[in-house]
Amino acid sequence: MNYTELKIFSKESFKNKIRLLQNYTLLVIDIIKMIPTVRKNRDVVLNEMYMIGTKALVLVALGGLFSGVVLAIESGHNLEKFGATLLISRTISLGMVRELGPVITGLLLAARTSAKNASEIGAMQLSEQIDALSAFGLNPAEKLIVPRVVAALIMFLPLTMIADMAGILGGMFVTNTTFHIDLSYFWDTAINVLQFKDIFVGIIKPIFFSFFIASIGCYYGLITKGGTTDLGKKSINAVVTSSIVVLFLDFIFTKVVWEVM
Amino acid sequence: MNIIELKNISLKYEDKIILDDISMTIQNNSVHVILGPSGAGKSTILKVILGLLQVDDGKVIIDEKDINSLNEQQVLNLRRKMGFVFQGNALFDSLTVAENTAYFLSYFTNKNEEQINQKVKEILSFVNLNGSEDLYPDELSGGMKKRLAIARALATDPQIILFDEPTTGLDPINSKAILNLIKKLQGAGTTSVIVTHILNDAIMIGDTLTVINEGKIVISGSVKEILKSSDRFIKDFFYEINDNMFLSNKIKSECYERV
Repeated sequence: MNYTELKIFSKESFKNKIRLLQNYTLLVIDIIKMIPTVRKNRDVVLNEMYMIGTKALVLVALGGLFSGVVLAIESGHNLEKFGATLLISRTISLGMVRELGPVITGLLLAARTSAKNASEIGAMQLSEQIDALSAFGLNPAEKLIVPRVVAALIMFLPLTMIADMAGILGGMFVTNTTFHIDLSYFWDTAINVLQFKDIFVGIIKPIFFSFFIASIGCYYGLITKGGTTDLGKKSINAVVTSSIVVLFLDFIFTKVVWEVM
Repeated sequence: MNIIELKNISLKYEDKIILDDISMTIQNNSVHVILGPSGAGKSTILKVILGLLQVDDGKVIIDEKDINSLNEQQVLNLRRKMGFVFQGNALFDSLTVAENTAYFLSYFTNKNEEQINQKVKEILSFVNLNGSEDLYPDELSGGMKKRLAIARALATDPQIILFDEPTTGLDPINSKAILNLIKKLQGAGTTSVIVTHILNDAIMIGDTLTVINEGKIVISGSVKEILKSSDRFIKDFFYEINDNMFLSNKIKSECYERV
């Protein structure tokens, strides 16, 4: 075993991480500049919307549903001790729309979309397909990365809303069957408790999550070199980095919303 | 008229000299072969011509334009005048033969779908791949993949086609078919630059040759001029024809005939 690989906090490793961040920032700037070119690649965008959006529908809905169910059971049993089971609907609605919906969707899609982008683009990099695009005068970022990022930007918000809805419905079912709360009371309270800032934070999070999840996956794909072992490593790195970014951004948005709004 | 001019180009990578004061001129509608052992810097020269690598010193002039003075978009536009056949083919594995051929055509020309289909048909017929339109790259043999890579490079009617080791890994029959195809392209007015380490390929199709070793030009000129050289490296490299027991007498005599 090469023990030098274990020195994850070495000076060289720190330099490499800074270099990675610097190159990723340059890629982000390029993506933003090239967004208007996406019209030329409408077919690719539609295909990606189907692959990363429509095909993730069941996963996201189940993720949202079970989060809502668990949230209802946990909060219900605790609130029951204080005779406050009528507050379950507020907890579920706010919890799903502000936090769990976006974060669960973000984490599930970080795993699915990031790994897909990193492995697809990484495999193209290894087989020189990316070089072929450059050699023939096409910008690989314009052709491969911008359509993937735009597709994620379009699809992540509706997917998050589906996760929110599935969670609230799952929570409503548990609240009704376990804690005997009337369905219409649950629904009215769950909807009326939501204020502008709750919906705003629930919308803004998936937009930022989608941009970073899609672009981080693509970036790791682009820097794949060597062979299949590195492709595996880069796919793992893409999932881990995007998951951390989702959790970090969630913290930032939550903090900012509570401080500012 | 010179279509490619390299003037005293040098390139370093992490203190290692990759190209050292390389100069060469390539005439329009000719076949120029860059010959040398593995790791000599041959493929690097192709990447420099394409503008994929920036040189540290010297000038790269393509079709009378200095590539170093162009911005990113102008370099992309210049690359569209060139086709590139990769050593590993670099075919788009999720696209069929017809889609691979049409890929850049649909980007860089204003042709409608019917015209594109017609052009694809013509090119696939030129490289003898008609009937394989709906196959995917992994369903093709090595020789067919190479011909598809050439078809894709030809699609946009480039002035120059760069070939990186076009016959490496192919059997003699397929190698000959590829070399004939390159000759056929010259007849159609295209300039070809071929990088290879296979001597008899170089002798059989090259109008002019540049032999490089360890990033430096050993000799440049016509095949006859090079064979007259008294350079030790050239003698060692070229006597291979005589000594190569794997080459058939027919191939040897073809090589000698050409020389």
